[in-house]
Amino acid sequence: MQKLVVVALNSLLAAGLYATMSYGLAVIYGVMRIINLAHAGLMMLAAYATFALNDRFGLDPFLSLLVVAPAFFLLGMALYATLIRWLPRSSAGPSMQSLLLLFGVWLVLQNLAYAIWGGDTQSILTPYTMESVEVLGGRFGIPQILVFGVSIVSLVGLNLVLRRTFLGKAIRAVTQNRDAAMLAGVNAGRIAAVAFGLGTAFAAMAGSMLSTLYAFTPDFGRSFLLKAFCIIVLGGMESFTGVAVGALVLAFIENFASAYTSIPVSYEDAISFTLLVVVLVAAPGGLPGLWRMLDRRAVAR
Amino acid sequence: MSFLRRHLALVLGLVFGACLLVAPAVAERGTLNDLWNMAFFVVLASAWNLLGGFAGQVSLGYSAFVGIGAYTTVLLAKTGWSPWLTLPVGAALAVAFSIVVGLPTFRLRGPYFTIATIGVGEAVRVIASGLEFTGGSSGVRMPPGTFEFGGNYYAMAGLALLTLALVAWLRQHAFGLSLEAIRQDIDAAEALGVHSTRAKLEAHAISAGLVAIAGGLFATNFQYISPGSVFDFRLSLTIVLMPIVGGMGTVVGPVLGAMLFSYLQIKLLASPALRDSYLFIYGGLLIAVMLFEPRGIVGLGERLLGFWARWRTPALAEAGRAG
Repeated sequence: MQKLVVVALNSLLAAGLYATMSYGLAVIYGVMRIINLAHAGLMMLAAYATFALNDRFGLDPFLSLLVVAPAFFLLGMALYATLIRWLPRSSAGPSMQSLLLLFGVWLVLQNLAYAIWGGDTQSILTPYTMESVEVLGGRFGIPQILVFGVSIVSLVGLNLVLRRTFLGKAIRAVTQNRDAAMLAGVNAGRIAAVAFGLGTAFAAMAGSMLSTLYAFTPDFGRSFLLKAFCIIVLGGMESFTGVAVGALVLAFIENFASAYTSIPVSYEDAISFTLLVVVLVAAPGGLPGLWRMLDRRAVAR
Repeated sequence: MSFLRRHLALVLGLVFGACLLVAPAVAERGTLNDLWNMAFFVVLASAWNLLGGFAGQVSLGYSAFVGIGAYTTVLLAKTGWSPWLTLPVGAALAVAFSIVVGLPTFRLRGPYFTIATIGVGEAVRVIASGLEFTGGSSGVRMPPGTFEFGGNYYAMAGLALLTLALVAWLRQHAFGLSLEAIRQDIDAAEALGVHSTRAKLEAHAISAGLVAIAGGLFATNFQYISPGSVFDFRLSLTIVLMPIVGGMGTVVGPVLGAMLFSYLQIKLLASPALRDSYLFIYGGLLIAVMLFEPRGIVGLGERLLGFWARWRTPALAEAGRAG
């Protein structure tokens, strides 16, 4: 019973980070119907930026978020202005062209990191990296708890922006129906630029926080990209709540699989991948789609 | 002259084939190594193009098939098989694997399929590094006495020509047309009676088999393989970039891409400064192609030919301006 509680708490802690990581992908997909393959590269670059700030100025990784997130917001807007906006727009679904373009961006970002920091494995050590506290009989690392706290704060903040401000409402309007939003006077091009910046900033926050938990190389981020993609597919691609629920589901499955089955840790990535394929094949609408389907069946009965 | 014009592709293909096959008589060993590598790339790029270019299903997991072919060859050769006899076995395993992977993932469309294939590639690499009989991450070596460059060269050149001929033939065939229909509009293709999943599975299987044979020849030529060499993401990347840069969905495009990339690879290996920036070059090429000419070198060539034709015949230019 106690083990169950500890595993559940661990899953919850992981889910906060997963949600932050996935929201960046979801907002870009929602507004532009683009799958941002460069997401992994942006997370990696943010991890290095945090590392550099910590190494050079001794800035705490969590404080450096205040610098890194706005900087990456601007970087995202710049990427949009120089590359993304020139792509032909597809209304039906994400185009191969945008996917491959962003794949190219990812490669360039990787090489940038190799050129600046070399290919060695890096990690960030703070005085509290090895510290932990005991809650309900389980030990939880301080960084994990801090990451969870920051994730929750950022997600709540984002939710407030999306629900209360004009900008947020405009983002949601473009996500729901681009043409109708434009008819209502929303400048969809500008919203797309802001959304790309926002997505990039969230990728950066996730990357900075990942750097306090894991060691990283310029190749870092691929398995997290797959996880994030799995989460937004689970969450139905564009809903805010969906992302949170998807993150919880993936975190619980991963943690319970490693605690109660003998699947080796190195195969952990296979879990998110298998889940991704199963969901895409069995319930392409993700959890919301599945819910609607069950709902309809219940009504029919 | 009119024969030349009508069968330009055939003539070019024959010249290309003749050059490849005559080369051992005239060229030095270093040049032959480069040509071997080019032929290897031609097989990979053209085979990938069958599914990725004609049918529009971009897969980032093709190194899995190179790896299956290479590992089958090495592991069977270690038990005393002749390396040549292992090639069909590797191809058969790759075909089987392509179907196992294809059945679930071909239910996904476009970019979703692409992302799932990143996962397949990763999973295969992780599993190959973890298994014991594959030698783990340190890799395996061919038994001594299996190395013979001459035969291997002809086999690879022959495989490249066979792949090209097969792809060119399939393109004319109803099968090629159904793949083209799937790329343009999968729902419309289904409505016209194309069994899209079956066509995709067949294209996947054919290309997987060809790539696995190339992988087997790769193992014999280099004598040593590891998950880092044949299951590498970089290899998958090169396989994808060659047809994209050359021109997806054409027969000539992947060959041009293979030539460009084998040349790039020679240059990259020669200079340390370039070797460290190969991802800049690959990524930059990908960005440039997607922004300016998604049909690659072939599309660029067609555009230039169009300009030239219009410049040569003022009447056409007039019509172009009017229309």
